Amino acid sequence: MIFREVEDRDLIARARKGDVEGYNLLVSRWEKRVFNYLLRLVRHREDALDVSQEVFLKAYQNLPKLEDPQRFAGWLFRIAHNEAFSLLRKHRPETELADEPRPPAAGPGLLPIELSLAVETALGRLTADQREAVLLKVYQGFKFDEMAEILGCPVSTVKSRLYTALDQLKTTLAPQALRGEI
Amino acid sequence: MNCDHKSDWNAYALGELTAPEQRDAEAHLSMCEACRDELATLRLTLDTLSTLREEEVPRRIAFVSDKVFEPRWWQALWSPAFAAACVLAAAILVHGFLQPAAVPQAQIDAAVTKAVAQVQDRLVDLDYKSQQLTQAYMTNTGLVRQ
Repeated sequence: MIFREVEDRDLIARARKGDVEGYNLLVSRWEKRVFNYLLRLVRHREDALDVSQEVFLKAYQNLPKLEDPQRFAGWLFRIAHNEAFSLLRKHRPETELADEPRPPAAGPGLLPIELSLAVETALGRLTADQREAVLLKVYQGFKFDEMAEILGCPVSTVKSRLYTALDQLKTTLAPQALRGEI
Repeated sequence: MNCDHKSDWNAYALGELTAPEQRDAEAHLSMCEACRDELATLRLTLDTLSTLREEEVPRRIAFVSDKVFEPRWWQALWSPAFAAACVLAAAILVHGFLQPAAVPQAQIDAAVTKAVAQVQDRLVDLDYKSQQLTQAYMTNTGLVRQ
């Protein structure tokens, strides 16, 4: 992680001097993380791809405004958060679906792909705010204070969203795990 | 859960407690089965969440001028538009080579003078024949005095 930060800092410096290739390398290092975060958040592949594109374009345009290159990850995800919620507000207010399909029925043991689908379905039952808290913490590994900066809210709100989401996920997912189905 | 302990097990499982808070929580865990169960359920949930498969980006995110994926100069040339331009240029060259050599101006002037003279002779001849025919017609129809 330290090496990655050092290299990111170098690539950011190159991009700030107008080195497009340097920025392209930076994009290639972060595109998968950003795309997966957006895919789980907006839950639509083409939208996630379009928003990813927009995120990296905005990041390039605003790179000179990034005060501390060591905080690039949080800064990038702040842009992604803003873009994703802009999309959710504009086009997909119906995203918070109450009638999502149920996770695969418990059997003598779920295949990895079935388990992955169960997790995806369980995440889909959360509100976008709760889901995002899980994505940033569990999948992206941000600290609470970094999440608060990305989401633009107090740490207490971050914890509230995350803990509510985990309580819900525990009831959905943990029983399957406890029965030895993972 | 029947325990009044104030440890934040979510924060503990997520690695967000300070060192003193963590020590306090672990001391409590060693003597509280209810909290151990609570933590075990939480960890199972987190382990299950970690099974979600990461998706590959469907297509590379294009950005500004992507030199890595720019075609080589010879690949750029090998396009339908370039091929059409080559064919057109070749046609113009072939057409140019097949054209007869340019004729000197003096030769053109002589030919024009000769043609004009021939036309004038022809006109004179036609005028003469026309007069003869007119005369013959008038004689035959009695319009001319004998």
